[in-house]
Amino acid sequence: MNRIPLDRQKESQAIEVRVQFGKEKNFEAPSYYTPIQPVENFRLMLEGKVPFWMPTDEDTFTIIPRIIPDNVARGYVMDAEPLALEENGGIDMFGIEWEYVPTVGGSMVKPGNPKVADICDWEKIITFPNLDDYDWEGSAAKSAPYLEKNRDKLIETWIFNGLFERLISFLDFEAAAMALLDEEQQEAVHKLFDKLCNFYDDLIGRYQKYYGTQLILFHDDWGSQRAPFFSLATCREMLVPYLKRVAESCHKRGMYINFHCCGKNEMLVPAMIEAGVDMWIPQSMNDFDMLVKEYGDKICLGSRMSLLPPETPDEDVVAAATAFVTRYKGCTRVFSSGAMFARTNPAMAKLMREVYFQTREEYNKLA
Amino acid sequence: MSIVKEIASAVEAGKSKVVGGLVEQALNEGIEPSVILNDGMISAMGIVGEKFKNNEIFVPEMLIAARAMKKGVEVLQPHLAKQGVEPIGKVILGTISGDLHDIGKNLVGMMIEGAGFKVLDLGVDVPPEKFIEVMKENPDCKVVALSALLTSTMPALTSTIKAIEEAGLRDTVKIMVGGAPVTQAFADEIGADGYSEDAASAAELAKKLYGVA
Repeated sequence: MNRIPLDRQKESQAIEVRVQFGKEKNFEAPSYYTPIQPVENFRLMLEGKVPFWMPTDEDTFTIIPRIIPDNVARGYVMDAEPLALEENGGIDMFGIEWEYVPTVGGSMVKPGNPKVADICDWEKIITFPNLDDYDWEGSAAKSAPYLEKNRDKLIETWIFNGLFERLISFLDFEAAAMALLDEEQQEAVHKLFDKLCNFYDDLIGRYQKYYGTQLILFHDDWGSQRAPFFSLATCREMLVPYLKRVAESCHKRGMYINFHCCGKNEMLVPAMIEAGVDMWIPQSMNDFDMLVKEYGDKICLGSRMSLLPPETPDEDVVAAATAFVTRYKGCTRVFSSGAMFARTNPAMAKLMREVYFQTREEYNKLA
Repeated sequence: MSIVKEIASAVEAGKSKVVGGLVEQALNEGIEPSVILNDGMISAMGIVGEKFKNNEIFVPEMLIAARAMKKGVEVLQPHLAKQGVEPIGKVILGTISGDLHDIGKNLVGMMIEGAGFKVLDLGVDVPPEKFIEVMKENPDCKVVALSALLTSTMPALTSTIKAIEEAGLRDTVKIMVGGAPVTQAFADEIGADGYSEDAASAAELAKKLYGVA
């Protein structure tokens, strides 16, 4: 396949500056000339084809609407009307109260007083939300001008509280962990997850309908800094069937699933792959190089770019980019993540551009 | 298989429904309560801890084992009391001020309890004054375990140790610290007596600090 050669001068040009949604504050970011649209490029990677350049989180546009109480409760709204700091936290869609912790930039359920004491009773206690109650049309109308401007990017929407996180929010951590293994509780957990999958399916459909979402970030932390919370066998039995349904809810609509899963979860990657997860950004305690070697042909893996000091000389930035690109040479299912730093750190902005240029040339050789 | 071994394997497998009955059976067979506790349950929890450390088992398995042990101890407790069998010692445990995280702290509490200690769990977001108050109420407590999950709350580990010093109680206890951002180097820097990186190691450390390891 003939690929358009890199035109460094042309592709260095910022063609416009656009408003992007941010947490607590929207911001402006430059948009560069590219030979194909970033969304098309991202799709190439997600479909296992050779992209034109290494996709990055700068190629996505994130909307996390405030009409969904979970997003407010978790302190993560990114839409036309960002939340003020003091608005974060509160009651989620299932009636669980979250406390926002400003120093962390996120929320947690204050432990010790779970809403559900016994998971076998969840149906008597938990009321599923009616998604019709939310002002989808109004939210879509407010976001539309921004979304339309960014349709050349991959539109991403987050779903907070995946399956295990939701279980924790109902029961507290220890009871949730035990419920995954305790034969007397497993049936109730299966029933809850089954109903949650129907709910997520409805939610995913609405995100696509109202915002044109193409990528769902499904938020479910599965591990601590040293190990997964549960074994691969437990994961396969209790979570994979349902995560698979969430992935299918995305895939049947032509969408993709980005699995947000904090913790040292290398051992659980086979479960993610079996469930049909398209992409995962492992935290730094995971052995990224091993993951690329073992699973790089089965799942897209996001690498957080190492932070450079803002005053890093240009030649060192180029060297850092070369080292990064060389390290993952030949693997076109690795993408980079560093947009957040590029906003405020000029060296990181340069690094991301340099990775773009180098992978443009590198990937042309592979196509 | 001897009844004590049966108790041990039931605890390890987390069979909380059968442990109580097995402990009754062992008592009826005339086995010393302390033998049932030490060779049946505490040793089983030691194996659980080791397997957890090696990632052979995970949090749910550890929790159900701890739950099973608790069931056994409930049956055994009156007999232990009658014979004057005491816990190894007391450990005061809490997540420090400003930090609401309890997962790691709770796992540590369970493993320390499983190792034969009495744990005084003060919960989360515990101000230094509370630690000091409970220390004063429990002068026989020789170990205080402090947990922090956030880098932003790590300074509270320092200030809690400092407050204990200022209250004149530092020499009466050994202080162990842990939590995701905490390292041995940080523990040394703030003058803690010990650091452990997981719940099983915390139980071993408590024993070491009590001089029973």
